[in-house]
Amino acid sequence: MLIQLNQKQIKLQNELQEYFENLITPALKSELNQPEYFEGGGPEFKKAMRTMGSDGWIGLSWKKEFGGKELSSIEQYIFVETVMRTGFPFPFLTTESVGPMIAEHGSEWAKEEIATKILKGELIFGIGYSEPNSGTDLASLQTKAIKQADGYLINGQKMWTSLANFSDYIWLATRTDFEAKNHKGISMFIVPTDDPGFSMSAINTLGDVRTNATFYDNIHVPETHLVGELNQGWSLITSQLNLERLALVNHGPVEELYKDVLKTARSTKINKDKYLSDLSWVKHNFAQVHSGIEALKLICWKQTWIMESGQLNMAEASVAKVYGSEFFIEAYRLMMEIMGELSILKNDSELTILNARLERMYRTASILTFGGGTNEVQRDIIAMAGLLMPRTR
Amino acid sequence: MDFSELSHQSEIRDSLDKILSEHCSQECLKEYDSNFKHDENLLSLLSSNGFLGLGLNKKYGGSGEDLYDLGILFERLGYHAAPLSLSGCLVDVAQTIQKFSNKESSKIILSSIIAGEIYTSAILEPFNQDPENPITTAIIEDDQLIISGTKYLSEISSIAKSILISANSNEGVLLVLVDSDQVQTTELTSTANSPLFKVELDSVRVDRESIIHEKGRGLEALRYLIQINMVMRSYIALGVTEKMTSLIAGYTSEREQFGRVIGTFQAVSHRAADCFIELECLRLVNQQASINLNTSLDCENDALVSKIWAGNACHKISYSAQHLHGGMGVDKDYVLWRYCLLAKECELINGSSSQNIDRLGENLTTNQ
Repeated sequence: MLIQLNQKQIKLQNELQEYFENLITPALKSELNQPEYFEGGGPEFKKAMRTMGSDGWIGLSWKKEFGGKELSSIEQYIFVETVMRTGFPFPFLTTESVGPMIAEHGSEWAKEEIATKILKGELIFGIGYSEPNSGTDLASLQTKAIKQADGYLINGQKMWTSLANFSDYIWLATRTDFEAKNHKGISMFIVPTDDPGFSMSAINTLGDVRTNATFYDNIHVPETHLVGELNQGWSLITSQLNLERLALVNHGPVEELYKDVLKTARSTKINKDKYLSDLSWVKHNFAQVHSGIEALKLICWKQTWIMESGQLNMAEASVAKVYGSEFFIEAYRLMMEIMGELSILKNDSELTILNARLERMYRTASILTFGGGTNEVQRDIIAMAGLLMPRTR
Repeated sequence: MDFSELSHQSEIRDSLDKILSEHCSQECLKEYDSNFKHDENLLSLLSSNGFLGLGLNKKYGGSGEDLYDLGILFERLGYHAAPLSLSGCLVDVAQTIQKFSNKESSKIILSSIIAGEIYTSAILEPFNQDPENPITTAIIEDDQLIISGTKYLSEISSIAKSILISANSNEGVLLVLVDSDQVQTTELTSTANSPLFKVELDSVRVDRESIIHEKGRGLEALRYLIQINMVMRSYIALGVTEKMTSLIAGYTSEREQFGRVIGTFQAVSHRAADCFIELECLRLVNQQASINLNTSLDCENDALVSKIWAGNACHKISYSAQHLHGGMGVDKDYVLWRYCLLAKECELINGSSSQNIDRLGENLTTNQ
């Protein structure tokens, strides 16, 4: 057993930190401070993605045939962790979850055109799973793809298609068999957003993160856009979600915030000889956050290590998702308590602390307990797969 | 990065389980519910199978210095609620001597511990929140020490050959091995009926030779002892909570109400799932702490994190287990109750979660 990064990995971490300091230019920073570009999609963002791609960072653990470097998933995790620490809205769902699925199960066209371009930082995907009447019960989805002579005709509506406003493609779950049981009639498609049959309307959220309702009106895609076997899409969805769940709870951003809040508390005077960090309740909050982060880091590392052996276990992916998402909410609360009223100030006053990151992050934290598969379902999975208990009714 | 157990570690786990499940049946454990909770036969069986040498160097007859190996032993002792209290002997005495003593006489002790001879420690003191700063004193007179003070929660002291004592002196903190016939031991009855003692030293005279460490390294040795004890006792907590969680899963998968198995109610399965998450976190922080202690003599924050998780997991899982078992959980004919008592002991010895959060917070906000 060895639970630490090795010298090479620590070196990689340092190298990446330095790399991002140069990559994240003032121009990119100011673009990312504009609300419409919070999640990326602006010209500077696109430029940075392509630079990362051509410098070979995006696909560290990917196979060489796609342009990857075939390092382990630990190196891949370190890359994502480090980029997320910078606050750059790295499209990890594309690179860490959809990309690997396409690389493994896509057609020749998809492997050559899509997977390699994801690695070059040239393509972004939105994920089309939920529908107005299919959320937690995802397998009841109704968007249809009907077989035609030269491909498939797609019609339907998706909800919460984040990033669709600047995505090149949607990773779309459709129903292709209407007779089979729910899970058994689903197929996955790569759907271009520049098709005239594609449209969307914005959904603005409490976290000022934009998401979208997306509409698919008689979109025709060729056979090559089908990923995996026809009607075998459910297993791609669950594998993708396992990868997504790990990526969602990466410990980098919360640890970075913790370090910054700690630094601020240690340098903020509350009277002539006391600092904020001298207060006992403040110390307690820091200790709570620290011990929580340690567990999260270890859960993520273990998951990543398991992935390396190719056996991402359902119960463990769900443990990461439930623990991580609920811990984030608790950690943001504990850290906001430390900074008190100051932490509700937005980014436009000289009193603003930490670039108003606390104010923004607490508002976006809630989506993780239900996004990526609601935590109730995750707990069902843990009870079933981890404790071998009977299926919940 | 590698989270897998080595093959010899899985073997340790398996063969321990084989021995312990035989000697820790309900019938066997009943014997110790109101008697001195120490199974001599089991101890000699562990000794003859080499388990008392886990974490000790091969040159003393041990199986190698990996502390994770030793962690497995404590985890399995916890899992089976074994009637043996060995952290004073195998952790405090053996590990501290291995790391801090360079005297031949002390090293001989390691071989005799592996052979089954009992030693123990007496570190904790009533109302002293900071064990690194003992109230017990040692006055240095030429080549002798005169030690006075009161210790408590010392394991199996009445049958130990000697007891490792922490004391303050004008040379700083000292760790001293004192023959047990020089001290007065009084058995304390406690919640899990563990063999815990009060140890009183009334101007006990020992040779200066009885200090186990080099001059000036007493505090460092004591800090190490406290940390490794925290981590190894957290492994007991891991075994105890693992057992309780598996009892929850088993019981709620069979018990029927309203015409269905109660584990199919989401309220029940989710509470069980929360135990599983808590357990997984505890396992990981324990692993990290024991592995870091392999290569460093001072990992206080890792040890504190381990203990904080252990305290919280013991509390949460114990009450979830009792609740989900209904009356069965408190019925002394069923297995659960002993684990609940052990959980409370594990939660509080070496400081509560609140106390350790305080300590960790102090470390994080000062010079680290």
